[in-house]
Amino acid sequence: MLQDILVTGLVNGGVYALLAIGFSLIFGVARIVNIAHTAFYMLAAYCFYTLLTRGGVGFTLAGIIAVVAVTVLSLVCYKLVIEPVREHESAVLIATIALGLIFQELMLAAYGGNFLGVPSTIEGVVRVLGVSIPYQRLLILVVAAVMLLATWFFLYRTRIGLAIRATANDLEVANLMGMNVHRLAMLTVAFSVGLAAIAGVVATPVTSIHPFMWLDPLVTMLAIVVLGGLGSLKGSIIGALIIAYVEAITVFTLPEGAHLKGVAALGIMVAVLLVRPEGLFGVAFEEER
Amino acid sequence: MYLLRRAWTEMTNEVLVLPSRTLVLVWAVGLLLLPLVYSDAYVLRILTMTCIFAIFAASWDLLAGYTGQVNFGHALFFGAGAYTSALLSLKLGVSPWLTIWAGAAVAALFGYLSGYLCLRLRGSYLSLATLAFPLIGLGLLFAFPDFSGGELGVSGLQRMILGPTANYYVACVSMLVIVFGLWAIADSRFGIVLHAIRDDEVAARASGINTPRYKLAVFALSAAAAGYAGALLAHYLRVAGPSTLEVALSFQVVIWGIFGGVATIYGPVAAVFILYPLTEWLGSFRHFGELRLLIFAVIVLLVLLFMPRGLTPWVRDKIEAQCPRCKQRNFIFRKTCRLCGAPLQAQVTRAERLVGHQ
Amino acid sequence: MLRHILGIVLALAAPLALAQSTIKIAILGPMAFVQGENHWAGAEMARDEINKAGGISVGGRKRMIELVRADTNEIQSVPDATNAIERVITRDKVDYLIGGFRSEAVLAMQEVAMDYKKIFLGAGAADARLGENVEKNYDRYKYWFRVTPTKAPDLFRTLMAVLNDIGQQVRTSLKTETPKVAIVAEKAVWTEPIVKGVQATLPKMKMEIVGTWQPSAIATDVTAELAAIERSGADIVFTLLSGPVGISLGRQMGERSMKAVAFGINVEGQKDEFWQAAAGKANYVSTLDTFAEVETTPKTVPFVRAFKQRYGKAPTYNAATYDAIMILKAAIEQAGSMDADKLVPVIEKMEHVGAAGTDTWDKRHDLVWAVGKTTGIAVQWQDGKKVPFWPPQIKGMQPYKMPAR
Repeated sequence: MLQDILVTGLVNGGVYALLAIGFSLIFGVARIVNIAHTAFYMLAAYCFYTLLTRGGVGFTLAGIIAVVAVTVLSLVCYKLVIEPVREHESAVLIATIALGLIFQELMLAAYGGNFLGVPSTIEGVVRVLGVSIPYQRLLILVVAAVMLLATWFFLYRTRIGLAIRATANDLEVANLMGMNVHRLAMLTVAFSVGLAAIAGVVATPVTSIHPFMWLDPLVTMLAIVVLGGLGSLKGSIIGALIIAYVEAITVFTLPEGAHLKGVAALGIMVAVLLVRPEGLFGVAFEEER
Repeated sequence: MYLLRRAWTEMTNEVLVLPSRTLVLVWAVGLLLLPLVYSDAYVLRILTMTCIFAIFAASWDLLAGYTGQVNFGHALFFGAGAYTSALLSLKLGVSPWLTIWAGAAVAALFGYLSGYLCLRLRGSYLSLATLAFPLIGLGLLFAFPDFSGGELGVSGLQRMILGPTANYYVACVSMLVIVFGLWAIADSRFGIVLHAIRDDEVAARASGINTPRYKLAVFALSAAAAGYAGALLAHYLRVAGPSTLEVALSFQVVIWGIFGGVATIYGPVAAVFILYPLTEWLGSFRHFGELRLLIFAVIVLLVLLFMPRGLTPWVRDKIEAQCPRCKQRNFIFRKTCRLCGAPLQAQVTRAERLVGHQ
Repeated sequence: MLRHILGIVLALAAPLALAQSTIKIAILGPMAFVQGENHWAGAEMARDEINKAGGISVGGRKRMIELVRADTNEIQSVPDATNAIERVITRDKVDYLIGGFRSEAVLAMQEVAMDYKKIFLGAGAADARLGENVEKNYDRYKYWFRVTPTKAPDLFRTLMAVLNDIGQQVRTSLKTETPKVAIVAEKAVWTEPIVKGVQATLPKMKMEIVGTWQPSAIATDVTAELAAIERSGADIVFTLLSGPVGISLGRQMGERSMKAVAFGINVEGQKDEFWQAAAGKANYVSTLDTFAEVETTPKTVPFVRAFKQRYGKAPTYNAATYDAIMILKAAIEQAGSMDADKLVPVIEKMEHVGAAGTDTWDKRHDLVWAVGKTTGIAVQWQDGKKVPFWPPQIKGMQPYKMPAR
């Protein structure tokens, strides 16, 4: 059982981390609580499904097209919907909620409320330490690890990454130092949604695709970023692992309590917030005066 | 007689001078007189629901707009009120007229608890933490299905009163009383303190205000109103189910609140009165009724692009102007301020005119 | 000018006056989802069939059926459902109501329908309370009848009957006296009584229960449960799933090449899209179902074939709105009137041979449980096809297959 928990926690943690990092970045750099973040994850999943099953395109090509399309869409949405209301925080908030709802309803209208499935990228199962792990889940783990490394490299080893981190740290001073904050915000949005889209493409073979699939990961992702600390990448990864393991432990140890895994994860989040109000590694933003 | 004269002077001096207040008066009177001219049961049902949700939205605004604690889990209080009233009236046979207050009280308790848990949280952390509360509540409800009815909820409840018109009046009068009450609270010294807490909590504390006490009080008050609304809905539909705790409902009230204009109390009420019948009307179309939520979201987005502060501030700015000297509001076509006599239009610079909403 | 206007008004009014003499039936369901689609499709088939034959004969005069499509959106909002039903009653002035799916919403809708004393035929919600209301307060709730499915506790009896047959096959093919059963039931009110019943009954049927797992109704991942089930060495996985878990279960069992067979209620498994949703892996998954090209009644095969031809996919149990309309027709023609109070006693005593089964009602206005008549059938997914296999005595049934060991 322990191996099951280890593996399941890692795999789920990887997917959650991809989502959480993106969300955390957008919040840190652009100060937007992007409720529609997992809706982009859903759109990538649908796009991947359509290309794969109805377009007859191969896996890699379908995946790449899905990720690129959703990223471009996110930039378009940002320009059209978010940027005009940037100064009004509350307006941005419901703008993202409305966007998420629009995507959900569009998918509902286009594909119906049915649950759709995507064939696995790699078939087959491997037995590790007495646990049978489908290759697809290993693929998810590998992709998540690679993307996390890529993110780390991007943020900590390139100049643009430095600029993004600086903006996340202190928006006003970064602006004063000559960084184009708006362009950086757009870049961050593109990068983050790209991560979410990759998560969508890679994780869909193990879940069902349906128009409401963005709501559950949304709650878990919010729990993770809050737990780890908004704006902190280390926090997002560690938060993702913690939540994934809490869920795995709940499910494996309490067979009749599997439905409580969401409650357990949220409970942990609330507990941590009581002790550390900014999350584990959160940065407390100074209130603008 | 004295009271009538007093009411008349109040009316002419306070209410009729401002178009927004006149509108509110017309609206309130219209609501009360509606069943006399138009007693279609369907329309009354829609308006009853609108009144119930208006209470819910106004209570959210008190919490989110005035103290800045944007609550993403307001449905928790709604559901708490609904379930409490339902269980008490069903299991113990108590009359709904009493259990509604019990529902509000239990919801207030939940509000106090939520507020307590969120005391040290700020901004987005608070919002996202509050998102978790109704979900935890839902999980616990499903874990004890014998008590809560699981996904079916509690059904077979009594109506408070029979007949569509009577129910309409119960909801309508409740709404008017509660909304005006909340507005009066927000407009009083208590409300000024809340504004201070939202704008700069550190400064408020430095001035000697016991901010945690105020924050907890507002949480409890707002939750009580939301719980009352939830109990009303449960007895109206005769079912109290997990749909009262859904994330979708929490998001819906956030949309109503911000769309209508935060920190106004009347803003979210106006938003509910516009958006809820609109969505229902959209849903009644035979062939694209299923797209109602899509059209709703698109409308919200479009309106937001033009009125980012919300609907009511925009409307108010169109029909009223602020006097540059005494900062009080006036009908926009007036030449001089009604209170201090300063000229309203001539020397107001463009920069000053931009600072509209107080 | 005035004459022209008058002429136009009269020309428009005339068909309206004639139209008043149609029988209006409201079809209530979540139209954006497959349940509502099937509600509407089954009703359309009934309407077209009846109208082509001239309509329903009410006391000698024939009247056509007019369907009113009402989207209750009940899956997303219960108040929307009650608004919809009130609207069709007061605005559209319908005579009869058919449909419903989500039990919480149907309970609320039932209240509205009973307030207006309109006949409401249920075509989707299984909660027993809908019938219990009839028993507790007959005068108020007598206008409610459930056309499909059988009430939740009766599903248990059907499940045990089928499990008996499957158990026998497992015994012979695995050469074991007591097959091991793992229960996977979603955590929901409708599964509670069935789970308790199963836990009590299986030992008497000489089957050993190796564990009970209860995932959330909205879960999409059952790795944990299946890992544990694999370790327990179960031969049969008994499922009570109405949500997407049904798909993940089938898929992951196939991906892990598990030796156990899944049987039970798997609502997703009843849909044509199930095979694709499970990426072609859910072989041998079986579930209770309602419609297939078998002779449950003489009407079943023609109905299912016509449905497939018209809509391109097989009907789900919600399409029993077809039967509901036929029941109304029979009742109206027998009573010679459209009055609800006169129709209620007629339906109570009726035995109706429909496409889904042969229906009779008990004092709760629920279907009377009888194998081959109202139990529905059981189907198994074999290589991409949904194959009906139970009850074996019905013509058209095919054998149940076990995975190779």
